[in-house]
Amino acid sequence: MSYGPKSSTANVPARPAMPLVLCGLLTAAGLVVFVSQLFGGNAARAWQSYLVSFLLFSAIAQGAVLFSTLMHAVGARWSGPLAGLAEAFISFFPVSFVLFLVLFIGRQHIFPWLGHDLHGKEVWLNLPFLFTRDAIGLLLLYGLGLAYLYHVLGLKLAVRQSGGPVAQWLFSRWQTRPPEPDRFHRRATVLAFLYMFVFAVVLSLLGYDLVMSMDPHWYSTLFGAYSFVKAIYVGFGALIITAAILQLGGRTGLSLAASHYHDIGKLFFAFGLVWADFFYAQFVVIWYGNISEETAYVIERTMTAPWSLLAWAVLAICFIAPFLILLNKRIKTLPAAMVVICGAVIVGMWLEHFLLLGPVFHHGVERLPLSWIDPLVALGFLGLLAASVVFYLRQFPAVLTHRLEDKR
Amino acid sequence: MPTDRASIMGIFDTETQAASAIRGLRNTAYTLERVHSPIPSHEIAGAMEAPKSKVGWFTLAGGITGFFTGFLLAAFTSARWGMIVGGKPIVALVPFFIVGFEFTILFAVFGNVLGLISQARLPRFKRDEFYDPRFTGHKFGVLASCNASECKGLYHFFEAKGADIKTAEEVQVEPGQPPQGGPTP
Repeated sequence: MSYGPKSSTANVPARPAMPLVLCGLLTAAGLVVFVSQLFGGNAARAWQSYLVSFLLFSAIAQGAVLFSTLMHAVGARWSGPLAGLAEAFISFFPVSFVLFLVLFIGRQHIFPWLGHDLHGKEVWLNLPFLFTRDAIGLLLLYGLGLAYLYHVLGLKLAVRQSGGPVAQWLFSRWQTRPPEPDRFHRRATVLAFLYMFVFAVVLSLLGYDLVMSMDPHWYSTLFGAYSFVKAIYVGFGALIITAAILQLGGRTGLSLAASHYHDIGKLFFAFGLVWADFFYAQFVVIWYGNISEETAYVIERTMTAPWSLLAWAVLAICFIAPFLILLNKRIKTLPAAMVVICGAVIVGMWLEHFLLLGPVFHHGVERLPLSWIDPLVALGFLGLLAASVVFYLRQFPAVLTHRLEDKR
Repeated sequence: MPTDRASIMGIFDTETQAASAIRGLRNTAYTLERVHSPIPSHEIAGAMEAPKSKVGWFTLAGGITGFFTGFLLAAFTSARWGMIVGGKPIVALVPFFIVGFEFTILFAVFGNVLGLISQARLPRFKRDEFYDPRFTGHKFGVLASCNASECKGLYHFFEAKGADIKTAEEVQVEPGQPPQGGPTP
């Protein structure tokens, strides 16, 4: 691996501050609302909004990264710069981990089963064990993600290029110990497979612990799989949005052909089907069994006001509308249209989290307890995620223009 | 084909040559009749600028028909017995939806195959006179037609594109045999 003498100095061109300012404003808005609610006598609401947004935006980052590991693991070459872009979401992993730790502060407000008789489930549902196992799971998942990133960057950025301080530090490290392509490729493949396996396990665990356990007497064996399929669906959606915004902005040098959008659009469409399939697979079993312990959860959310309205809205936004629209080939190749569709699906999934958790937090309400607090807190999380991605892309601008070399 | 028209087949070694000839034909008065390729080629498909395939519509129609067929079949058979099982309705939407879904897939596949067969105008029992068995091996064929008086020009066009050439005269002389070279038109 060689580093040219002229390229040994960092050459970071001036970049517009607007994206980071916008991300900062979003984060600040979310933070202000969250803190004001926290100390304004509405702490429970603040923490519940925090939990919904934490789950959604962490799932987005985890699911988007899965795209890169999947492409690498199977040796796919069609994805082009999309895989490099997907790796940008790894930058949210440390943030997500800190946000999870912060969740511990609000534990009294988000676990309705605290202090209740759980009839033997205390062995699993107790705070020290829950937070320890989830933290270890996230550490493992995020550690694998970062290790995978290190190796794929070693493969892609063989020659020192412009970039931020983190990139320069990596280049300096690789200058003294140049990465061996074959070894790095082998390791990246192993890490990609491990990431996908741990992704399924940890996302299932988070689904059980932070969503399903909120109603501690209800259970669905498929809930874990449903949770990680949902993460893949929203993750791919976020990846399409990011690619489209960067391409439409036209400053990053990202160039995707219509066929790229078509292919990832098909993948997004397919995971929409898988998500709906996993929902239905749970639903049919519960419907057939007709056991009150299982049906109460579904009836409350799909057949009683005001939640039934939200349930139909989620089904329409996340499945029916995308299914009918994305049957069309051309629309999948239009970046602007895909931003709208994927954005709607992500909003729909945010509502879906609210649907799953809402009835536990808000008993006997007559109107949907959605208020301006929830979207603003979500915008704060969006700001953090976007800032992480922007930060990464400024550290490693070359990943957007990198082309895979066919070594076969 | 009217008698004052003549056809010439250009036989190419690579898809790039074939695609180049197809693109070149667009700028001439010759008519592109047919292309043979041993492989599915995006390059040739792009050069042909062929209209979008209609097979997808057959698949869609099959899928929609299948959904209703499956759902109605389940509902009809259930209604014939009229037995309430496990307290569920006789015509129950939740499980019958699955039958509908499975039939959607099945009939979509049938629609797709039917679409493919009808759009490719299969089966063909009469072999095309210009067809060369090497088109299923390693050669690419581009058949073009022109006015009888312009044959020489078309011949030279294919020759300039690096093709072996098969003309109507050759087809008549050696039916079914691969051409050994282009005779003078």
